[in-house]
Amino acid sequence: MKKWFKVSLAALAAAALLITGCGGEKKKAEKPAETGKTKVAFVYVGPVGDGGWSYAHDQGRKYLMEKMPDVETTIVESVPEGADSERVITQLASQGNKIIFTTSFGYMDPTINVAKKFPNVVFMHCSGFKTAPNVGNYFGRMYEARYLSGIVAGKQTQSNVIGYVAAHPIPEVIRGINAFTMGVRSVNPNAKVKVLWTNTWYDPAKEKQAAITLLDGGADVIAQHQDTTGPQQAAQERGKFSIGYNTDMAPMAPKAVLTSAVFNWGPYYVKVVDSVKKGTFKPESYWGSMKDEVIGLAPFGPMVADDTKKLVEEAKKKIIDGQLFVFSGPIKDQSGQVRIQAGQKMSDAEMLKFDWFVEGVDGTIAK
Amino acid sequence: MKEPLIRMTNIVKRFPGVVANDRVNLEVYRGEIHAILGENGSGKSTLMSILAGLYKPTEGTMEVSGVERKFRSPRDAIACGIGMVHQHFKLVEPFTVAENLMLGQRRGGMLVEQGKVAAEIRELADRYGLAVDPDACIWQLSVGEKQRVEILRLLYQGSRVLILDEPTAVLTPQETSELFQNLRRMADDGCAILFITHKLNEVESLSDRVTVLRSGKVVGTQVRASLDRKALVNMMVGKELQVQPVRKSTRIGEVVLELKAASALNDMGRKGLDELSLSIRSGEIYGLAGVAGNGQRDLAEVIAGLRPMTGGDYLLDGESANGLPPRTLIEKGVSYVPEDRLGMGLVPDLNAVENLMLKDYKKAEFGGRWLLDYQKLSDWATGLVQEYDVKLSSLLQPVKLMSGGNLQKLLLAREITRQPKLMVVLYPVRGLDIGAIEAVHRLLIGLRESGAAILLVSEELEEIVKLSDRVGVLFGGKIVGEFPADALDLEQIGLLMAGADVQAGGEDSALSR
Amino acid sequence: MLFRVEKRMTTPPSLMVLVPVAAACAAMVFCALFLLLTDRSPVAVYGAMFEGALGSEYGFSETIVKAIPLVLCGLGISVAFRMQVWNIGAEGQFYMGAFAATWVALNFPSLPAVVMLPFMMAMGVLAGALWGVLAAWLRNRFSVSELISTLMMNYIAILWVSYLVYGPWRDPKGLNFPLTAPFPEAAILPSVGDSRVHAGLLLALVVALLLQFVFRKSRWGYEIRVIGSSPSAARYAGLDIQGNALLVMCVSGALCGLAGMVEVSGIVGKLQAGISPGYGYTAIIVAWLARLHPIAIVLVSFLFAIIQVGGFMVQTLGVPAAVATMIQGAILFFVIGADIVTQYRIYRVSGDGSEVND
Repeated sequence: MKKWFKVSLAALAAAALLITGCGGEKKKAEKPAETGKTKVAFVYVGPVGDGGWSYAHDQGRKYLMEKMPDVETTIVESVPEGADSERVITQLASQGNKIIFTTSFGYMDPTINVAKKFPNVVFMHCSGFKTAPNVGNYFGRMYEARYLSGIVAGKQTQSNVIGYVAAHPIPEVIRGINAFTMGVRSVNPNAKVKVLWTNTWYDPAKEKQAAITLLDGGADVIAQHQDTTGPQQAAQERGKFSIGYNTDMAPMAPKAVLTSAVFNWGPYYVKVVDSVKKGTFKPESYWGSMKDEVIGLAPFGPMVADDTKKLVEEAKKKIIDGQLFVFSGPIKDQSGQVRIQAGQKMSDAEMLKFDWFVEGVDGTIAK
Repeated sequence: MKEPLIRMTNIVKRFPGVVANDRVNLEVYRGEIHAILGENGSGKSTLMSILAGLYKPTEGTMEVSGVERKFRSPRDAIACGIGMVHQHFKLVEPFTVAENLMLGQRRGGMLVEQGKVAAEIRELADRYGLAVDPDACIWQLSVGEKQRVEILRLLYQGSRVLILDEPTAVLTPQETSELFQNLRRMADDGCAILFITHKLNEVESLSDRVTVLRSGKVVGTQVRASLDRKALVNMMVGKELQVQPVRKSTRIGEVVLELKAASALNDMGRKGLDELSLSIRSGEIYGLAGVAGNGQRDLAEVIAGLRPMTGGDYLLDGESANGLPPRTLIEKGVSYVPEDRLGMGLVPDLNAVENLMLKDYKKAEFGGRWLLDYQKLSDWATGLVQEYDVKLSSLLQPVKLMSGGNLQKLLLAREITRQPKLMVVLYPVRGLDIGAIEAVHRLLIGLRESGAAILLVSEELEEIVKLSDRVGVLFGGKIVGEFPADALDLEQIGLLMAGADVQAGGEDSALSR
Repeated sequence: MLFRVEKRMTTPPSLMVLVPVAAACAAMVFCALFLLLTDRSPVAVYGAMFEGALGSEYGFSETIVKAIPLVLCGLGISVAFRMQVWNIGAEGQFYMGAFAATWVALNFPSLPAVVMLPFMMAMGVLAGALWGVLAAWLRNRFSVSELISTLMMNYIAILWVSYLVYGPWRDPKGLNFPLTAPFPEAAILPSVGDSRVHAGLLLALVVALLLQFVFRKSRWGYEIRVIGSSPSAARYAGLDIQGNALLVMCVSGALCGLAGMVEVSGIVGKLQAGISPGYGYTAIIVAWLARLHPIAIVLVSFLFAIIQVGGFMVQTLGVPAAVATMIQGAILFFVIGADIVTQYRIYRVSGDGSEVND
């Protein structure tokens, strides 16, 4: 008994030393931060190593560091979207960060809340829609790249069944599925896109399993809207093809990945940080397009035929030139009813709240 | 038959405070079935455990085939060809028969050839008539089959001396006779079989020789040819008991408990009580003699409302108490002192106060509708502890720290202070020292004097003789004999307890049913 | 030299406190070695952890915010665990509570706060209780292990809330994003100053004290103690085990449901998927480490909140989330592992098997 008491006391004392000791250390450590470097912070919903969504943002951060050496960045990864995110954002703001990028939809309201308390900090929220005097939001017109990747899938499929592993039935995902399907049907009107919801953003095992289910159901190309590379791995294991998302996923599954629809956040991050430093920052809802190079298509895999490449390149050129707009009428929904009349184009507002599937999608949206 | 296979010489085994075996000599020969007969606590199991390598003898020597051996573990015994089947089987339920047999085997390399093992098992099983499917999982098997697996395991390990601890206790009559045939076949094949029992008919129908133990000593060995059951019973029970019966009750009153042809199933789903009839009057201690496992606990639990009856009637003060829940019976004045004090009668992790209040905490004086007045409860408990002379260092200590005697006194204090009309006590002095035994007995007599009816279940004849106003013998879930206190015939009781069909003998005037 | 391990009959109270503290310190020393090996200063990392969680008024308030749902769920779990009813469905009951409270806020937006908040609370408590009672009923009626049923019902509850926020309960003004409309002002729990510490703290503390009283002084507390310690003795004494199983799961679920209500009303202000980052599961560990003692649950919850809040702050030093999680995991591992010291006695024996000393 006595021995235990002594050991515990010693341990307590050691811990106390550690804690108090580090208090002093901490103050010293803060000083170099005041050397005039601009502090920029990023909040990620998944781990940086997810190979998908958060990884793409982190690639953008690295690009920013490279281009602007006087910027110092901090990241906090795997932050849940509930009560935790508001605290993490607040603490980052109070640590002297001048710009904070919050990169998940669920961070929208917390970002707005924190922004009220820190009027001198600029907040940029990705994938939402709210703005404030010091809050902007940004996203990419991923549907453009989705459409192009749909052309690749439509040409590649033999079974005319393309599987699509999708996270949650929200407008962003639905829009992607629709654009992809329209790309597929532009070259292969007989093909169908089968959608399977996973109800998760980040669950590699579950997403992989969903892809396997689709493959077993006859699909021979797998597209996806998730934060990980699980579906690509499934396609590779089954000797089938896949379309990557977020970043070039070819390194994860070189035999399967035809191409990937990718985000390229780096240049935009440089632009935002630059505007804040120059004092020209204005809150806006930025929706970057392929023309802005925020959105792109990763290099083709060796299995993609040359005429397919040609088709895609042509379409890409037209999109950038403005000759081709993905969601222009006539567009029919799943029941065959024309929703967008010939000659009409969908507005941004309509696209931002997409809640129906176009013809050719095999799947349902919970109402 | 000249050279004994096993020779145990002057075996002494002492446990703290007890001499379990006292200079025991035993010889076992190849090809014989040898019964070890004795009452509970006579040292049979200890002796066999020594032979099987579970215990180290304090003194004495053991020879196997003329070579002296010292076993440090059951593994050593198995290496000498000695194995034991315990009452509680040591099988891994989710595994198959073959896998169980392979467990603990050291022969062969890392890999085992399942197919080869299964074939070996089949061959062994066929030879001795031990029909078991090697690929069946243990949990799928009946008790009898499990026992066969245990025996097969010993044979598979190469045992030539098989020890069986009360092998028939868990078997149906059908299974028992099959077992006996199989054992005989093994003996004919040159094995030696040792089996522990306290049933005379088994000794008669199976064994070649029988050794009787009493109080850790060998009292005699008989061979089959000259078997005399009366002599055996006398050896087992002892001619005269060293007890003075206490003064018998003078105020026997109305019938309190009456069971009419009560039947119930035991934990294994077999017949625990078989149309048992019994009646006990107020002011009377009814002593129920019998070997444990003949339905004692089933009877007690039926009376306490913890076990449903499958037939018959249960009357309390002449009113039907069939199917009443425990709580109602408690309120009607039925008290049950179970054998398992810490497992059922008391809550081990709670303190003395919390245990004493177990059946009384709802009384108005101990609080309102919702709350408990621990101050009052504690005062009340202090009073009880003093009155019943329970020794404890603190009322607030978990009762599991108390000694057996004090636990029993605590339990009886709680039950007796409720002034029960009927009390069922199971093995009340098991594991207690002499002082505590006396105290418990005084408490029971005091309760009888206050007019309660008491059903005392015991396996110690001394205790029954000392306390009872009437004695019944329980065997196979039935009362097979009943004796008034002044006409006790110990020899008869011993025979009945051992399952002898006395009535068929035709000379039993003492049976008063 | 041999060591032998033996279960302790009783545990000295001093050990119950000292051992976990010593274990937490040992865990930190262990992680410090690891941090040194990966070229990080343990001093800086631990500094950030405690600085973030306790070093400022804000950090401290946030640690409390984080602790509130843990306290309520932990208390709920302790009620069931005390009777050895293994309710691991706190997470699901939390979600059902949040769901029911949201139902009130969305369907009766014009109620004044004095009606709205009690109504939301009542519905949250009711939904959690029903979700718990269902498992108890299955246990009583069909002998379904509540361990399995409560766990499975978690998934049902979580997916039910997902369905609602992605489907019928989407905010019509929310561009079809998976969020309900924000709650009306009357449906928001009052909070302290401009911090996020809300009235749920008061509720949690009141419930803790109340349970402490109930466990110690009430008839019911005594009954569940008896049933939990020895079901066979309880049956022997005629206690109503099945009825108490229902009651215990009812109270347990109610408290977890209250936690869910408090979280949506006090913090989030609307219903969304993923409102709980596993509070219901963490609370199981909390309750266990606190040995089901209500006051200890409050303290342990606070400690867990420190670890979790601090864990995110560690990341700002460039430590990956995985390392922060590892530190949390190590502390848990050591503290739970140290249980062997409080539950068992380890002593040295000499060669011949006799005891040498304590």
